[in-house]
Formats: sequence, structure tokens, C-alpha cells
Amino acid sequence: MDWYIIVSIAALLVCLFSCLYHFTRLIRLGSPGDFSQRTGNINRAVRYSFTGAMSPGKKESAFMHLPTYTAGLVYHTGTFLAIILFFFILAGLEAGTVAAYVFSAFLLAGALSGTGILIKRMTVSKLRSLSCTDDYISNILVTAFQYISILNLTGLVPEAIYFITASLLLLYVPLGKLRHLVYFFAARYQLGFFYGWRNAWPPSKNY
Amino acid sequence: MKINGNTEKALAILDRRDGRLQTHLNSCVRCGLCAESCIFYLSSNDERYIPAKKVDIVSSIYRRYNTLAGRLVPGLVNARNLDKAVAEEMVDLLYGSCTMCGRCTSHCSIGVDISYLVSVGRSMLSEMGMVPASLQSTVDAAIKTGNNMGIPEEDLLDTLEWLEEDLQDEVDDREAAIPLNKSNVNILYTLNPREPKFFPLSISAMAKIFYAAGESWTLSTRMYDVTNYAYYSGNLDEAREIARRLRDEMHELKAKTCVLAECGHGSRSFRWEGPNYLQGSYPFETITSVELISRYLREGRIKLDPTLNKERTTLHDPCNLVRSGGIFEEQRYILKNAVSDFVEMNPYGYDNYCCGGGGGQLAMSEYGERRLKAGELKVKQIKDTGALTVVTPCHNCVDQLMQLNQVYKMNVKIKTLAEVVADALVLE
Repeated sequence: MDWYIIVSIAALLVCLFSCLYHFTRLIRLGSPGDFSQRTGNINRAVRYSFTGAMSPGKKESAFMHLPTYTAGLVYHTGTFLAIILFFFILAGLEAGTVAAYVFSAFLLAGALSGTGILIKRMTVSKLRSLSCTDDYISNILVTAFQYISILNLTGLVPEAIYFITASLLLLYVPLGKLRHLVYFFAARYQLGFFYGWRNAWPPSKNY
Repeated sequence: MKINGNTEKALAILDRRDGRLQTHLNSCVRCGLCAESCIFYLSSNDERYIPAKKVDIVSSIYRRYNTLAGRLVPGLVNARNLDKAVAEEMVDLLYGSCTMCGRCTSHCSIGVDISYLVSVGRSMLSEMGMVPASLQSTVDAAIKTGNNMGIPEEDLLDTLEWLEEDLQDEVDDREAAIPLNKSNVNILYTLNPREPKFFPLSISAMAKIFYAAGESWTLSTRMYDVTNYAYYSGNLDEAREIARRLRDEMHELKAKTCVLAECGHGSRSFRWEGPNYLQGSYPFETITSVELISRYLREGRIKLDPTLNKERTTLHDPCNLVRSGGIFEEQRYILKNAVSDFVEMNPYGYDNYCCGGGGGQLAMSEYGERRLKAGELKVKQIKDTGALTVVTPCHNCVDQLMQLNQVYKMNVKIKTLAEVVADALVLE
């Protein structure tokens, strides 16, 4: 086995164990407790939190920023695709020519979206004022991984470069904001629980 | 401003073994999409007021002391020491430019409970003795005197006595009463101390509704204050003490239901936060007066004639009642029965803009100018409806709207829900 594959497996293990640590810690801390008299339906609210509440029809941050919202969706789709492909490539499986081009198209859309989001972060004053080094590194690593994945699929980059990029990304996940890989789901659950307990989510049918 | 209290205790708050806290401290991706949900940002275009900045100042301290990267390479993840400069910035951002209205929370792209993190930050500042003096003095008055305005019991009794006489004249019944400290009643009704002090007519409006419904109710002269400004200051010990007094008064009077007066944060702090402060469920029902009036209407216990309120009327939804309390239908059901021309603002309900008076802002005179500026959006919303009357079931909102009315010359009447209902009551 080549050294860079061993490195990437080690990085993957570090990433997985770290995410697992954060996940199990949240599980150990338990469900939100509340002594007040519940008036709503938690299950419905949590479902709404992951669905309707995320839609542009309901979420102001989405419908007021549709290009960014769409870019975010495409970027995250590309990221998950790149991660799934990484597992396949690690297992020694190769995509056929047609599949490689289809995957590359999705990854390119994701990578371009990531680039757009990065440019926006660097050029829009209010976003720049919010940002720290972590924000730029996180974006650059994820976006670069998508570009390199395309180059790897099309055979335009040495395999070592691909695995090293993957390793850097995997090692960085536990350090910075990429941890939202775990915490995003916890946050939506917590928010659904909070609003559901008080019958604020899902909103009234007459709203 | 000096750090007078205990920084270690403040930092210990961030280390709490609490899934909700740990989740929200780790979730923000600083996308900045929350900016347009905040009245302080929208009214000033000042980047400092972006809600994500309020999250970041709390979570940056968390990262410094509680994460590997924050400990080893703080510059990488913007991890900050909790020092005087950071604490002063926290005071300005978390007290001075946030009403904890939760609008940013419900629209956050990730789902970060931003207003919760603001309250966590306020608790940290409270541990450090950095609660703005004006807000703390409101809490102190409640702790020392039993009500946040320090109204002496004899003044309250005087006011209630003449209100009772007025009620008897109005309903033409010498038996009509504002009962005080009665045991074994159905309802213990609370008041916002602004009512006896500045808006006594809202007390007589509610008394008239109770009279029309034939309700068994009482006021307590010992503990009637529905407000809990310690919820806003972040001092959980004081918040617990204030909630405990009202719970104990319910026990003392053996009332079946505690009805919370028209006060958004008061309702929230006693109904939703109180049991958690006290670590135990209430053995009695707790509802808001909005729900009670709606119940009376649905059960046919009161009858309203909407033609008695002919002016175009709009509704301002208090954030703590609607977005954080789930009460959306009831006030609309009441208004559709109580006024003949009801019109919604845009946006309304769960997405309504805060008036700018929440979060303890009305008590903090040092941020008064900013508060009135933040209210500009509400002024535009009201003007766009063409309404002549604005109804809001919250005395904090009433105060802010009255000030906005004066400053921005809206020429509208500001009323509580009970007042509008009392005006439309048909006594049989």
C-alpha cells in the first residue's frame, strides 16, 4: 500500500473518531430537559426543523439570499459526493468513464459554488468582518478537495496529490468550523425541540 | 465598566454539561445570512450588530478555553481571552444591541439558537458584575419590594379601590369587584407593575372581562408582578427567586390557574423558564390572558360586538408570546371578534419584527437612542397598514410603541388586547 494511502486512512480514522467523540458526547448529554408544561408536538416540530423550516418558502435567510442559498446547497452536495467517492477510491473501486464525467460535472458545480462563496466572503464587507482564518481554510480545503477529486477522476492529477488533499481536509475537520458536520444536525434537532415544546413549530396552518 | 465579579464563574457557564449549550456554541459557520433578520442591523446597517457577531463573541471565548485549536492556536479559530475589553464589547453587543427577540434564530441557516446564546453571554456578564446599572436596578427593585417599580402596597390598594368603584359604575353593579388575596379561586391574575403605575385602565379592562365571564378570580397584593427582568439581566439566582415567589403565592392562595398578564417576557419567564429555574413542574395550570380571553369567547362566556371598535386595527405580535411562546391563533381570533376592520402587518406572526423594546431595552436608558432607531422598522410596518389603532398583548411593547408613536408621529392609538375586548364587551 502506498504511503499516501496509509496517511489518508490515518487521517480518516482521526476524523471519524473525533466526529464520533463529538456525537457521543452530545448523546451522553442527553435530550433537552424541560419542566414547563408542553403545549406542542416535538416529533412534528423536529421534522419541520429539518424540512419546511429549511425551505426558502419559510426561511428568510434562504429566500432573501437565493443565489447564496442555492450555491450552499450545490456546494454541500458536491462535498458529500466527494466524500463518498473518496471511500470508493480508497476501497480500490474505479468509476467508469461516463460515471466519472457525470460525477465531475456535479463536483465542478460544487467547487464553483464553493469558490463563489469564498469570493463573497473575501469581498463583502460584512462577511469579511465576520470571518477568521478558519473560515477561509475550511472553504479552501473543501473546495480544493472537490477540484482535485475532478482531476483525479479524469486522471489529470497524480493519485498522491488527491490523497494528500483528502488527508489535510480530514485532519482539519475536527479543528475548526467544519465540525458543523456533526453539530448542524444537533442544532436543527435542538431548535425543533425548543419550538415544538412551545407549539411555535410547525407554524399554525393559518399562517 | 469594571469587572466586579468572578470571571472563573463566568467561564464555568460555558463548560456546563448541557447538550443544548454545547450544540449551539459549536454550530455557527459565520455565513452572515442572519444579518437581515435583526432590527438593530437593519436600522443601522452597522456590521457590529449582525447576530452572528453576538454568537461569535460568546463562542470565541468558549473556543479559547474549551477547544484544542482554541487553546493551541487561538488566532486560527478566533479564540479570545475573556478580558476587560472583550467583556465590555459583550455588554454593548449582548445587552445594548439585542432584544433576544429570536427572529435571527428562527431564520438561521444552521439552526443556532442565537437568542439563547445571548442569554448565556448575559449570564456570564452577570457573574462578572457587568449588568448595566439601569437594568440591575429594575431587578433589585423586584427583589427588594416584590415588584419591579417599587410600588408601595398602600398605593396599589388605593389604585385598585378606585378602579373597583369605576368598574361598579361602568357595569352598574355594586357587587362587581376586584378581589384581593382570595383563596381557593379559579384564577390568580398577575399584573405588569406598569399597569397600576401608568396604565390602570388595562386592569379595569381585565376586571370587566372577568366580571362578564362570571369568573372566580383574585389579585394578590403580596406577589402580583408578572415581570422577571432577571431573565434579561442573566442572573439566574434572581430569576429563580422571582419565579419562586409567584409559584409560592399560587400555593398560598390555592388557586387553580395562574393567568399571566399581557407581558411577553413575563409570560415567557414564568411559564416556560420558571419551571426550569425551579427545577420542577408547576402543579397548576399556567396560561396567558390572551389564551384565557380566547377561551371565554369560544365557550360563549363573553360576547363581543365588533362594531363597537370601528377603526382600522392592526396587531403587533410580542416576540416572547408568539415566536417563543407559540401563541398565534388566539389573539387573531379575539381581534376578529372584537374589531370590525382588522389588518395584519407585513411580516406578522412568527416573523414579526420586534418593536425594539424587548430584551430589557426599555429598562436600559443608556441605549435609548439605539432602541428608538431600531423601532423604525416597526413604525414603517404600522404606517403601511393604515391602521389607527395598534393592539399588542404586552406592556413592554405598549411602552415602546407609545414612544415610537411620539417620536415618529404615527398618530395611532396603542392598546392592550384586554382594552379592545373590554370596549367591545356586550354585558347581558
